Amino acid sequence: MASVGSLSGVSYDARGLVEPHAEMPDNIEVDGSRARFDAADLTIRQINMALRKLIYNDGIADVTVLNPSSKHSLAVGILKRCRIHFEGSPGWFACGLIDGPEVTINGRVGWSLGENMMSGVVVVERGGGSLTGAAIRGGDLIVKGDVGARTGIDQKGGTIIVMGDVGINTGFMMQRGRQIICGNAGQNLGDSMYDGQIYVAGKVSSLGVDCVPGEWTDADAELIERKFRIHGLGEPPQFEKFVCGKQLHNYDSLEPSERKLVI
Amino acid sequence: MAGSASKGESPSEVRTVAIDAEVLAGKRFPYQTDISLVADIDLLAATPGPDINWLEDVTLLEEDGIPAVFDRYSNSFLKIYFNIPEGQEDDIARKVLIKHLVDGNSYGITLKDIHCKFPQVELGPWVDESRIVGENWKPTELEGWTAPQAH
Repeated sequence: MASVGSLSGVSYDARGLVEPHAEMPDNIEVDGSRARFDAADLTIRQINMALRKLIYNDGIADVTVLNPSSKHSLAVGILKRCRIHFEGSPGWFACGLIDGPEVTINGRVGWSLGENMMSGVVVVERGGGSLTGAAIRGGDLIVKGDVGARTGIDQKGGTIIVMGDVGINTGFMMQRGRQIICGNAGQNLGDSMYDGQIYVAGKVSSLGVDCVPGEWTDADAELIERKFRIHGLGEPPQFEKFVCGKQLHNYDSLEPSERKLVI
Repeated sequence: MAGSASKGESPSEVRTVAIDAEVLAGKRFPYQTDISLVADIDLLAATPGPDINWLEDVTLLEEDGIPAVFDRYSNSFLKIYFNIPEGQEDDIARKVLIKHLVDGNSYGITLKDIHCKFPQVELGPWVDESRIVGENWKPTELEGWTAPQAH
């Protein structure tokens, strides 16, 4: 792929790829189907290159990344079943667009964890930033600490579980999926949501437009019991359920092409 | 497939508003008409995590009055023509979808080989092994056009 130099000294290629000539790290330790490497001195591109090579080309099913050092956009776009463990804290947009990986993060994360995640499991041992699970379409996203504002904004599927508190505008324009919040929720919970369920165990500062209390069903109890059990989250607390009041948005009035965006 | 020409549109300008998986593929697949072809699909094995994960959001829907499952990888509906046993609607929809994906018949998968700019698995996380596509992508060249300087 031909690249072109620029005045800034950063080179690009036709795909918009920064660092097109990045070299594969030489500090990867492989042991059977497992691998680990220290990311402290690596660029974002090198870390993601190493993950893709190990998982796609070398048949490695379990990768440990040491010292991610809050670098952004790590483990993005991995489209295969595997296990990835971060020993430390990744930065913004970690694990975005993933389809299949089961990721554990022994640290905290920045904005937009699991943005547009398609499937898989992400577990964060500490807290997260704003926009956690933005536009998530499937899978389980679990943060054991607190998260910031707009958690699950534009959520189209999947389950977001927060063991601590969530900030303002959580569930903003949520279209499908589930949020299980064990702590308190900030102002405007579920504002302008189309569909989906939000369960809150703590105090809700205020509900957003067209977000209303929902009727508790056996399916709700089964979901929460199952998610807590399979992810080892202990005994679930009592939750209150919130849903869309169906006064603001209505699927029946959508064009077919618009309808597809929300299923 | 719902497509219609409005006044002033030539047939070549007919807009399709409801893309169907069969239309995209140009054929109907056997598992759309034969339940026995999906009976042995193991949903737990096909999905990450200890439950059915992303398939939790997949349910039996309806398109053009026919039961259908939505394939998010091609933004199209896959219609199901066999009789679905009562109480198994969502389960069967998920099995038909996974069969469609595992067999590589989703139109989105077909497009990967042509358009992927970066190496990735052709099939998704629903199979253990898959060939890599996108390793030799080249930008499209328009005949007779040369890029201006500094591009």
